Formats: sequence, C-alpha cells, structure tokens
Amino acid sequence: MAAGVAAWLPFARAAAIGWMPVASAPMPLAPREKRRTQDGFIIINVSGTKFQTWRSTLERYPDTLLGSTEKDFFFNEEINEYFFDRDPDIFRHILNFYRTGKLHYPRHECISAYDEELSFFGIIPEIIGDCCYEEYKDRRRENAERIQDDADDENNKEGVMPDMTLRQSMWRAFENPHTSTLALVFYYVTGFFIAVSVIANVVETVPCRASPGMIKDLPCGERYALAFFCLDTACVMIFTVEYLLRLIAAPSRYRFVRSVMSIIDVVAIMPYYIGLVMTDNEDVSGAFVTLRVFRVFRIFKFSRHSQGLRILGYTLKSCASELGFLLFSLTMAIIIFATVMFYAEKGSTASKFTSIPAAFWYTIVTMTTLGYGDMVPKTIVGKIVGSVCSLSGVLVIALPVPVIVSNFSRIYHQNQRADKRRAQKASKEAGQAFLSKTNLSFEKEHHHLLHCLEKTTNHEFVDEETYEKNCMEVSSVNPPGSRCSSISSQHGLTSTCCSRRNKKTFRLPNSNMSGSHAGSLQELSTIQIRERPLISNSRSSLNAKMEDTVQRNSEHPYVTSAIISIRTPPVTSPEGNNTSDSPDYSQRNIVKVSAL
Amino acid sequence: MLSVEWEIEGLQTVGIVVIVCASLKLLHLLGLIDFSEDSVEDELELATVRYRPEGLQQLEAQTRFTKKELQIFYRGFKNECPSGIVNEETFKEIYSQFFPQGDSTTYAHFLFNAFDTDHNGSVSFEDFVSGLSILLRGSVQEKLNWAFNLYDINKDGYITKEEMLDIMKAIYDMMGKCTYPALKDEAPRQHVEIFFQKMDKNKDGVVTIDEFIDCCQNDENIMRSMQLFENVI
Repeated sequence: MAAGVAAWLPFARAAAIGWMPVASAPMPLAPREKRRTQDGFIIINVSGTKFQTWRSTLERYPDTLLGSTEKDFFFNEEINEYFFDRDPDIFRHILNFYRTGKLHYPRHECISAYDEELSFFGIIPEIIGDCCYEEYKDRRRENAERIQDDADDENNKEGVMPDMTLRQSMWRAFENPHTSTLALVFYYVTGFFIAVSVIANVVETVPCRASPGMIKDLPCGERYALAFFCLDTACVMIFTVEYLLRLIAAPSRYRFVRSVMSIIDVVAIMPYYIGLVMTDNEDVSGAFVTLRVFRVFRIFKFSRHSQGLRILGYTLKSCASELGFLLFSLTMAIIIFATVMFYAEKGSTASKFTSIPAAFWYTIVTMTTLGYGDMVPKTIVGKIVGSVCSLSGVLVIALPVPVIVSNFSRIYHQNQRADKRRAQKASKEAGQAFLSKTNLSFEKEHHHLLHCLEKTTNHEFVDEETYEKNCMEVSSVNPPGSRCSSISSQHGLTSTCCSRRNKKTFRLPNSNMSGSHAGSLQELSTIQIRERPLISNSRSSLNAKMEDTVQRNSEHPYVTSAIISIRTPPVTSPEGNNTSDSPDYSQRNIVKVSAL
Repeated sequence: MLSVEWEIEGLQTVGIVVIVCASLKLLHLLGLIDFSEDSVEDELELATVRYRPEGLQQLEAQTRFTKKELQIFYRGFKNECPSGIVNEETFKEIYSQFFPQGDSTTYAHFLFNAFDTDHNGSVSFEDFVSGLSILLRGSVQEKLNWAFNLYDINKDGYITKEEMLDIMKAIYDMMGKCTYPALKDEAPRQHVEIFFQKMDKNKDGVVTIDEFIDCCQNDENIMRSMQLFENVI
C-alpha cells in the first residue's frame, strides 16, 4: 500500500461509522493507540548538505537504517544533527524514497556507487519503481558483464585448468577454437570441408561439355560421377566423425542431441547414408533425388563458425511475430486486390484472370513491384485497380522494412530483458515484502477496520484455498452442510457443525490471553513480514488457519473481543462468566446477534 | 468499333467512381465514419484544476479540529490529490486500496455522495474535513444523522427497502468472494429484512429519521460502536 494512502486510513475508519447501524455483530474494540508523539523535524547532514524531514516520514520503513534506531549511531550532539559522510546527490534519491514510497534511479549516476549507497542505507534495490527498474537492471547487467569479461580474460591468460578430463577438454576445444592449436586446426579443417561439400553440390548440376560420343550435354555430376561420389564420401566421413566426437564430448548428451546444431548435422549427413542403403532402385529414385536437396543444409553448419549468422537466426526467431504480421497484412491486401481485379476483368474478352486464385499471382507480382508482365489488365477499371494495387504495394512492403530492421536490435534486447524480468520476479517479490514492512500501528488499525466490516456482515474473510476447501466440503457433505447453511442464514445463528469451527478459533486466545499480549507485538511484526505478499492471506490468517506460527497473529483481535466480554457490563447475563466458557461465549455472542 | 467499346467502358468506370464517392460522402454525413482526426484534440480538456481551500482559521472555526490536526489532514489529502479536490474516480481508487479482497466501488460511490454535501461532483478539502468533523468529533445525534444521510440515497428523508438493499449489497460486495461462511445471494436481502423489522416501528415500509434515531439510541451495541473511532486522529 502506498505510503500516501496510509494518510487516508483515518478517513476510512471514520467512514466505517456508516456500517454501525446495520451491523450484525458487535464491533471489536479499537486497537490501543500509543500516545502519538508530536511529529517533529529531523535534520540529516550529509557531507554538509542539510536535509530536513518529519520524523514520521522516516519511520515509514522501520527496516532501513534511517527508519530504525541504527541512525542513532550517527547522531552528533554538538550540532544536534544526524551526520553521514556520504554522497549528498545520491542521498537525495534515498530520502525521496521515504517521502513518496518510490525509489528512482538517476541515469547519470554510476551504478556501483548507487548500489553502495543503497546497501549502506539498508534499502534493497528490488523496490526500485517500474519507471526506472529496466534502466537499473540494464546498467547492472552491463556492469556485471564487464566484470565478468575482465575475470574471463584473466582466466584465459592463466591457461588450461590442470585437472580437466579429456572429455571436458575436448568439449572446450569444440566450443572455443581459440583455446589450443589443435582446436583451431580442427575448426579450419571442418570449415574447409563444409565449403568443399557445398561447392561440389553446386558444381554437380552444371552442364559439362559432353564426352566424345555423346550428343547432349550432361551435368557434371553424371559425367564425373565417381569423382563426385568420392568427394561426397570424404566429406560425409569427416562430418560423421565430427558429430560422433561432439556427441562423446558433450556434457549433457540429451541436451546436445536436441540442440539445433546437432539436428542440422544429422540432416546434412543423412541423405548420404540413405542413398547408400537404397541403391539404384528406380521406384524410389525420385524420393532419393528429393533427399539430395537436404544436402544444401550443410551450409548451415557454417553458423558454428560465424557468430553473425547465429545472431541473425536468433533475431529472426524473435522477430517472428512482426514478420508474421507483415505476412498477414500482405495476405489480406492480396486477397482484396485479387478479388477486385477478377471482377473488374471479368467482362473483358480472353482475360488471363480466369479465377481469383489466378489473380493472386498478378497481385503479388504487382505489389512487390516486380511486374513480370505475364498478366496485365485490359479494362480501364482493371488498370485503375492495378495502379492502386502497385502504389499500395510499395507502401505496404517498403514502409515496414526499415521498421523491422530497427526492430531487430530493439526486439533482441527487449526479449533478453523480458526473460530476465521473469527471472527477476522472484527477487521482486522479496522487494515487495520488504516494502510492506510498514508501520505496525497502521497494520493494526487496518486490520481493525477490516474486522469491523466482517462484523457488520457477519461473514469472515478467508483466503482462496480455504474458500475452495469449504466449497468442496459443502458440496461433498451435502445433507449436514445444507442444514448448516440454512440455519446459519437465519439470524446468523450457527448450528453445531459451523460453531465447531468457531469454537476452535475462540478457544486458543482465551487460553493464553494474559501473558503474551505484550510479547505478541514483536512476533506480530515478524509474522506479518513473512505473510505479507497477499493481504488476503494475512487477513484470513486471523480467522481460519490453524498453524502455530499464525496463531499468535490471530491472537490479537480475538484478545480484544474477549476483553469486551469481560469489561463491559453484560447485556445478557451469561456473558459475564469466566472466559473458559469459550464455546458458550461464541454461541451467545451469536445469539445476541439474533436479538438485534 | 473500338471507340464504342471504350465509350461503354468509360461510362461504366465513371459510374462506378461516382457511386463509390457518393456512398463515402453519405456515410460521412451520417457520422458513421470520420475523416478528420481533429476530434482527438478537442477531447483534451483542461485536466489541471487548482483548488485552494479556505484559510486555516476559518476551517478551525467551522470544524471541531485543532490547527495541528487540520494540518495533518491536509498534508495527507494534498499528497493523494495534488489538485485540491477529489473526484469520484480517485475517491473510489483510494477507498478500494483498503479493501483489496472485494469490490468497494459501489460503497465508495455512496460514501462519495455523503461527503459531497453540495453535490457538485467533487469533494473539496472543506467537504472532507467537515464530514470527518461530524464523524470523529460530533455528537451521537449528528453521527446518526450522517449515517441516515448515507443510507438515504435520494435524500428524500425516507429510507426505502430498495435503498437499503442497494447499500447492503454494496457493503457485502466489499467482502469479496472468499468469505466464511460462503456469501449467499439472499444475505443482503435478509439483512435488510432484519434491519427493517428493527427500525420500522409503524411498519409503513420506510424508515424516517426519527424512527432511525429513536431505535439506534435504544440499542446499546450501536451506541457503543459509535464511540469506537473517537481517537482516530
């Protein structure tokens, strides 16, 4: 809850008077107010720059240096101020956090200096507001990368770690060719053979001069079939050996097999082996020829050698939605123009636009400004539509292209940030928990307000799980459940099955009411912190939960209601009895409701 | 021959173009489509309204708060509403932060109307503080009066069953879905029945201010709960 809204709590509580005349149950007693000390100024001197604020502003976050008694260590009696020998510029932001509840990160500040100040003043960075959080995380990541790079350079200069197994050193050699000369040699050899294989595939199909005695030109592949076959075999041997070595050296074989690069490797060498198996079978030669197409995938093996190709592939993948949208809008435009074109050209004789799908080709060619000229409109309306089509094609295609290009880097970084943000969510939760360690008295008053609402409607807050459980219980144990609910609907009187629950909750506080009230305050603060993320959680904990840790939390409001029963003059005589009569108390409490 | 063909075609083309333009113009006239984008700028009204409250002296005279208490109130007020007045949306937002489990917008709406005594659609600091003065420092009579005013939605001096039902539903809405025992749909209605049985002495179906105050003054619980928030500030 924002610090500012805390100032409106008195208003919300005062407005609760509106519920009083219609309340179904008597209200719990208000939490005891400690005498509010007069709010005074506090002067903080940071390296000569004086900051002044209210004491209560600093007390909003009791878990930080300034909000707790830790600041007394810095109190200087001579000048009667709190003196800190730190950076006043950054301190300004920290003080603003107390004032507004939001921590901002100034862009011109150094990230490590800022982090140091935050840790000095006991503020965790996860509570930085959303406006500055991305920037902060980016700078932090860059800083961490810089530190990491420096560390890596040092590591690399040191040389190979002495106790790596052969398998680990092999994997390292594969992934990082610059580590040893052998790795480098291997890297270049495989690169060379990939290039040779791809060129061989290409040259195979070039028509060579016919050998003497033949009339027509043959493709070189058929002329020098043996030579090409030997070359192919050699390349595939090398690729197979490389793949097997990688498979052996991989730290996680399962993960390696599933990776993209290994799939490319497999697809690159498969056709050869399949070709070996199916030899000279005329029926399947067509399929065999198709398989040869896959040999071109060997070119993708270059992506191990080229960082840029990998980045391109990754950004295309991450840019897929934008490209998809472009395709979708193009498709829409194509269909529209093809339809209009078809109906426009329907009238003319011997028109090439025989159907709408036939018109698709014309539209695509026109919109991409290719203009082959194999299909042209003849009618005037057709020509007008054709010109509109080509103009809009220019716009539809040319405009998004620079946008997509500039989107590359933006989407690339954004994707990285989005993934990181998801990973950082866990630490953000911790930050929220930290933020919510607000005033204890505020929490007490807020709970009292919610408790008044419960009493007004004679229903209690529970959390989701308990609610689901109750729903299932009611539905499963139908007959007694329905009896329970029907009776409870009459004047709030609960029958035995429901009062059993009430009995449980009421008994506990009465039993250890006397001793631990003062001590429970401290425990309240720790327990509240643990449960903070969902206020409904802590709210329901006041009612239904049985766990030990939470019992003492539930103690507090019920202690006060028990106090009511003792102090005030009894309206109905049984109420003044001793507190061990807790079940009766709960029943009579609710009986009193019906008398209303 | 050719010229006749072209003439027919040309006339066809002209006809189509004319029809298309005429239909577009017709739609524009009918207001179904808008060509110009100026309408967006017209909607930008002056959102910044500065409102300053009366002086501290006058407020101290009008309400039952001391200067210090008024200062504390104003600091909190101005923090959330720097423009000096609260409109209904902001009011609902602030109020719903205190009841995260349920939907407090309806009740906040009624509360807003109760605070907005001059019915100008916004609550100024004076309205705010005079309302709080009654609630925190007023006599029991005044508080009951205020509560009656809250329930009487149309401010006609009578609380009808429908008005009470609206209020009750709004209160039950604030509880949300996850309650124990589970909220039934008839719960507000039954609550209203109980209320009317108690308050409506002459059984005429409405509760007047005298019936209300009489009945509340005779009820110990209500009297005691009225004193509950004396020391809020």
